[in-house]
Amino acid sequence: MTPKHTVDLLILGMGAAAELAAIYAYDANPKLNILIATKALKGKGGCSRMVQGGFNVVLDSSDSHEKHFMDTLKGGQYINDQDLALTLVEQATPTVKELETISGCFFDRRDDGHIHQKAFAGQSFDRTVHKGDLTGIEIISRTTEQVFKRRIPVLEETRAVELLLDETGTVVTGALLFEMRTGKFIVVEAAATLVATGGGPTQYRFHAPGPEKSADGIAMLYRAGAVMRDMEMIQFHPTGLIIPGSVVAGALLEEGLRGAGAHLYNGKGERYMKTYAPEVAERATRDVVSRSAYLEMIAGRACPEGGVHIDAAHLGADFVLKNFPGMAERCAQFNYDLANGRVPVSPSAHFFMGGAAIDKDCYASLGKLFVAGEDAGGVHGANRLGGNGICESCVYGRQAGISIAKFLASKENRTIVKTAPKMAERMAERLAAPLTATSGTSPLENRRDIQETNWLQVGVVRNQKDLQSALDSFTGMSENVAKAKVSGSQAYNMIYNVHLDTLNMIDVSIMAATSALQRDETRGAHTRSDFPQQRDDYGLFNTFLWRGESNLPVFEKREVIFKHKSLETCQQFKK
Amino acid sequence: MQSKQTLRKVKIYRYDPEKGGEGQFSTYDLNIENPAITTILDVLIRIQKEQDPSISFRYACRVNMCGSCGMVINGREGLACKTNVSHLPAGQDITLRPLNHFPVIKDLVVDMGPFFTKYEDALPFFEPKMKHDEPYIIKADDPKRVDIGMATDCIACGCCVSSCTMVNNHEGYAGPAALNRAFTLLADERDALFVPRLTRALESCYNCRTEFNCTEVCPKQISGTRSIKYIQRLAVTHLKELKPLEAHPAEELPPKPPKEEPDTPCCCKAGHAADPSRRSFLKTAAGMVGIASSVGIAGVLGVAAVAPTLASNPKQWVPAGTLKDFPVGGISTIMLSYTRTQGFHSAAVNAPILVRRDSETEFLCFSSSCPHLGCSVAWDPLSARFKCACHGGAFDKDGNVLAGPPPRGLDRLPWKIEDGIIKVEVV
Repeated sequence: MTPKHTVDLLILGMGAAAELAAIYAYDANPKLNILIATKALKGKGGCSRMVQGGFNVVLDSSDSHEKHFMDTLKGGQYINDQDLALTLVEQATPTVKELETISGCFFDRRDDGHIHQKAFAGQSFDRTVHKGDLTGIEIISRTTEQVFKRRIPVLEETRAVELLLDETGTVVTGALLFEMRTGKFIVVEAAATLVATGGGPTQYRFHAPGPEKSADGIAMLYRAGAVMRDMEMIQFHPTGLIIPGSVVAGALLEEGLRGAGAHLYNGKGERYMKTYAPEVAERATRDVVSRSAYLEMIAGRACPEGGVHIDAAHLGADFVLKNFPGMAERCAQFNYDLANGRVPVSPSAHFFMGGAAIDKDCYASLGKLFVAGEDAGGVHGANRLGGNGICESCVYGRQAGISIAKFLASKENRTIVKTAPKMAERMAERLAAPLTATSGTSPLENRRDIQETNWLQVGVVRNQKDLQSALDSFTGMSENVAKAKVSGSQAYNMIYNVHLDTLNMIDVSIMAATSALQRDETRGAHTRSDFPQQRDDYGLFNTFLWRGESNLPVFEKREVIFKHKSLETCQQFKK
Repeated sequence: MQSKQTLRKVKIYRYDPEKGGEGQFSTYDLNIENPAITTILDVLIRIQKEQDPSISFRYACRVNMCGSCGMVINGREGLACKTNVSHLPAGQDITLRPLNHFPVIKDLVVDMGPFFTKYEDALPFFEPKMKHDEPYIIKADDPKRVDIGMATDCIACGCCVSSCTMVNNHEGYAGPAALNRAFTLLADERDALFVPRLTRALESCYNCRTEFNCTEVCPKQISGTRSIKYIQRLAVTHLKELKPLEAHPAEELPPKPPKEEPDTPCCCKAGHAADPSRRSFLKTAAGMVGIASSVGIAGVLGVAAVAPTLASNPKQWVPAGTLKDFPVGGISTIMLSYTRTQGFHSAAVNAPILVRRDSETEFLCFSSSCPHLGCSVAWDPLSARFKCACHGGAFDKDGNVLAGPPPRGLDRLPWKIEDGIIKVEVV
């Protein structure tokens, strides 16, 4: 029925994590037969490319891995996987250097010729490496070229729809892909599979990642039975642009603005961050700033456009235009003047701190399965620092590439395990049903329902009643999604693509709401109005879940292991 | 509230791969209340949601960072997410079609494959000079980095290639995006491939006709033209390092015949060869017949190589159609079919001509044969130009050269009206 490929390494996604994994696996063994499958055009999809601010890394002799590590734990409110966070900060240094020396990136320089590092929120040192204010373009353009140079084949506009498993259900044997242009399914079997599709919590009305994202990797991993963690932790970026009626709404104004000293004002013209975080005000971490803005908004102190105002103009128009040209241009396109005026912004769904549970070599809980980047969880704990996102994608992409090459160096590992009989066929049949359905629900409406429910009930500030109600709604929505109908031809059918998105969005919505109900406190990105305090005597656990027998999530709380830094050290750490 | 002011007509090119053919435009009426903050991408998403779920287009980031939504918007390349409705003249219909020079997959979605094939011509990837553990120390005001500037911000959207009149017609021409990347690497002191890259880029970059189309349309404000000129300048300073260029295979073959006009020479050359430079426009006593002539230096430039000399062929009047076939203010391409007889030799001729009607009684007729190498020229209503697809020649509505290699304007054909039928004089 379906065309079939057999490869050594199947890489799902083509952002920073996927590309660096491909590059490092290839460089370790050029004979590996690697295949990349991406939902978008080559190197054009995903969030790495959309990175604005930059990449946190220790380069300066007056900075240290210790400081970056502590900033990351403090930012994550202590529930990070400490092994992962330590690897992040330690490996960030060689990773960023190799981006320059191997891939040819060129980051902005200081006057003395060394790499320039700018200020971001929540950090004890100005350590964010960047290229202007549109850093992702530089990283992804250069790494994509390196993938081309190595002649690693890429299936573009070919999204992964499900992971394939062997008969025991414990070994990943590859993936079922869907080629958008022809509307055909493709089976790829692989000796190792890396899931690096990137997250993108677009299941909210207001979201920062491009609308093409739909948490595909996280949802596929869950459906395949991988152990997931921290799924309640969804970051809202505090400064998403408000643009009524436009798909651009929710796109970000980068964190460097607050790092450089931009102010936030509510509708009454007050700098409300001075109340919520007297010491650091706008330079507080994203969880705090987003929560504060949301609380101002629901207290009736929103600006006329519905959110709050960011003011960078007081830094001087010349400074803003010189340091944030991309942001100024983005604002100008919608008649906002960042250099001279205030711009309306709102918290915007931005990032999954949660994802598949992995170790520092990117091994996940199923055989032959590796996960890197936003699809993995644990690095950031309850909140991610600005600049640690692209850092995670690059560091763990590199880790995955090196570790998979090692894994495949063993002859035993470098073999294809048989997929359970008829598994791919049955999946393809089920997935194609909406194309032949005579009646059913509309994928666009399903998506809107999911986004509205999440925004209102599983959003910036949550409570038990709303979460429960959302979970109930999701059950109905899940049925609606399964009953979708898509008209038109198979070739480049965008509505069918939205249908595939909603299958994933509903699963991550259920995971997030389920996990959120398990955490009766406020911590990092997870704010509960019914439990407004962080409770360190209660909340030092991680939420783990996986798909159980009856397709419902099985849940387990596990204590945080303070392996490298004790709780006391974390609590006492001051920037 | 819908009102006349906010209602816009949106014409979208449609192509269904299952049906094939040439595709057609579908027209939608859309109420756009706030054109200043409505992007073309918003327009497409709304039409898809509210009126026609079957339209296909491509986008990803929606903030000018991925380069997935390049298309031709009212005749000009741009990103759908970066072009607001208010950037287009108010009251003008919104016309969206796919990028030029790329195979269409469906509707506005093109296959970017040819873009990346050309891109690879320039060796568009960094190759470190030596293994280096530490990033190079390069000052922020290093002249070469200043030269490179933001040119590395290219997002490979294909707009420049679509706008370029040369890249699609020269196998050996890598085009603006690839050469821009070549430039940024040639100016990068860390890169090891200077000589091979410069050799390739030079082989390619003289095909640029300096029309600035790429510069004009680039959504990231990168000047492809500047990048190409930079490479050309490097040739002067690095002459000794370069190996002599081998001839491009195309150069060793005889020139190809014109694409669409086998044996169909330009009609009006005959009889006017003695009048090479004068552009006269005479009217008969009745004011009905216009005679134009201009031949120029075509023979010198090689037209003679592809078109037989027809100086001795007899002229004849051939009907082009009835008056009602030609709307006033319109420009039409008409295929003339007639028999040319000379002595015992007779040949069937099918020659397209261009007819412009300005008023009830005023016409202008042009040979559609490009004065460069004889390819067919067609009227492009979006850019309001006659365009030659072969080498990018462009002419204004009077047939004067605007761009590209043509040595002179379009040849005009004498015409007259008899009994409601317009006739043109051809050989």
